[in-house]
Amino acid sequence: MAKVTLFPQACKGMEDCGICALVCPQHLFTSSGEMNEAGYVPTRLTEPEECTGCQSCMLSCPDMAIVVVKEKGEEAS
Amino acid sequence: MSLAEHPLRKYTRPHVKKTTTCPGCGNGIVAQAILWAIDELNREEGLSMDDFVFVSGIGCSAWIPSPLFAADTLHTTHGRPIAFATGVKLGLPRQKVLVASGDGDLAAIGGNHLIHAARRNIDLTVVMVNNGIYGMTGGQTAPTTPRGLNTITSPYGTMEPEFNVAAMVAAAGAPYVARWTTYHPRQLKRAIKKGIQKQGFSFIEAISQCPVQYGRVSKLGRATAILEHFRDHSLKLAKAREMSEEELAGKITVGEFCDRQAPELASQWSELRARLGKEQG
Ligand SMILES: Cc1ncc(C[n+]2csc(CCOP(=O)(O)OP(=O)(O)O)c2C)c(N)n1
Ligand code: SF4
Ligand code: SF4
Ligand code: SF4
Ligand SMILES: [Mg+2]
Repeated sequence: MAKVTLFPQACKGMEDCGICALVCPQHLFTSSGEMNEAGYVPTRLTEPEECTGCQSCMLSCPDMAIVVVKEKGEEAS
Repeated sequence: MSLAEHPLRKYTRPHVKKTTTCPGCGNGIVAQAILWAIDELNREEGLSMDDFVFVSGIGCSAWIPSPLFAADTLHTTHGRPIAFATGVKLGLPRQKVLVASGDGDLAAIGGNHLIHAARRNIDLTVVMVNNGIYGMTGGQTAPTTPRGLNTITSPYGTMEPEFNVAAMVAAAGAPYVARWTTYHPRQLKRAIKKGIQKQGFSFIEAISQCPVQYGRVSKLGRATAILEHFRDHSLKLAKAREMSEEELAGKITVGEFCDRQAPELASQWSELRARLGKEQG
């Protein structure tokens, strides 16, 4: 298990970016359907409990809009 | 418990809340790779942002360190960041000097600075964002543009072969040279970290996506389509070395081009200064 935090105000949108959705091996990202202050529609997680904590979304997000913290005992890659 | 802010925010200027890039631009992935490398060096060796001077030229990729990074940043003129960085390193030899800039900036107008800094082996870390195009000015052909691509300055397709910049820098004498793509953020981070640790000229080429200009002219379109292209066409150097030129057409060779030791320029200057100081009293 891992804890994913999204910063929707930093996200530049599922439609124009969507990199997190491409790299997530669990296919957990979808559009939130709600516009942020900058006018982009950020992502949300469909099933957070399915996250493996691989951190690919965090490392690939160009706008530092995602943080994945692993539960204790697991090693960061 | 949800985090109040991203852990890399401690390395960014508080008033800079957003990157300057278009949605999906690879520059943000490269910026993060640099900051994660520094974060590891902070935990392992106690390095901080105060130990760095970041230098960039002109272009979208030149906005990676400035204004984002909370450190000394020099945003210089087009093509000249390595010249500025050389001066900074010789004047402040204890600082880590990292150049981040674009392919047009470092390999076209700034190409000779790059060649000679590699030959001189001055202790700089150069991260070149290669998006295969002049992004900022609207999608003109760069020396790194793949042959045949129609750009706004080559509407019938470029007739020139693309520049293998990493191989050129290795041939010029740089002790550490690596190439990865933005589809490989972990490897990119590791290479940048190694480059910072290396005493000598290190060059990390980050093949990156410009969805707005390159995406348009290549008809690949979205950032994710360009990243899928990187994923499907990347090939490890060790494997590439066994293949013919024809087999390698359209492939992106990734990995470490070299990792070796060589006499470094700034430390030789420091030694000479110390020696002459002693001899002349
Ligand atoms: C001396 C000079 N010539 C030309 C320009 C115009 N110019 C600005 S950025 C740029 C190219 C940028 O391309 P690159 O370095 O690949 O950066 P990118 O925007 O693709 O990240 C050019 C030609 C300039 N600013 N100064
Ligand atoms: S950490 Fe991995 S599994 Fe979890 S959301 Fe991110 S990409 Fe998906
Ligand atoms: S990668 Fe980051 S900026 Fe892009 S859509 Fe996902 S959360 Fe938003
Ligand atoms: S024009 Fe291209 S390189 Fe420049 S910020 Fe936009 S996507 Fe990035
Ligand atoms: Mg470019």
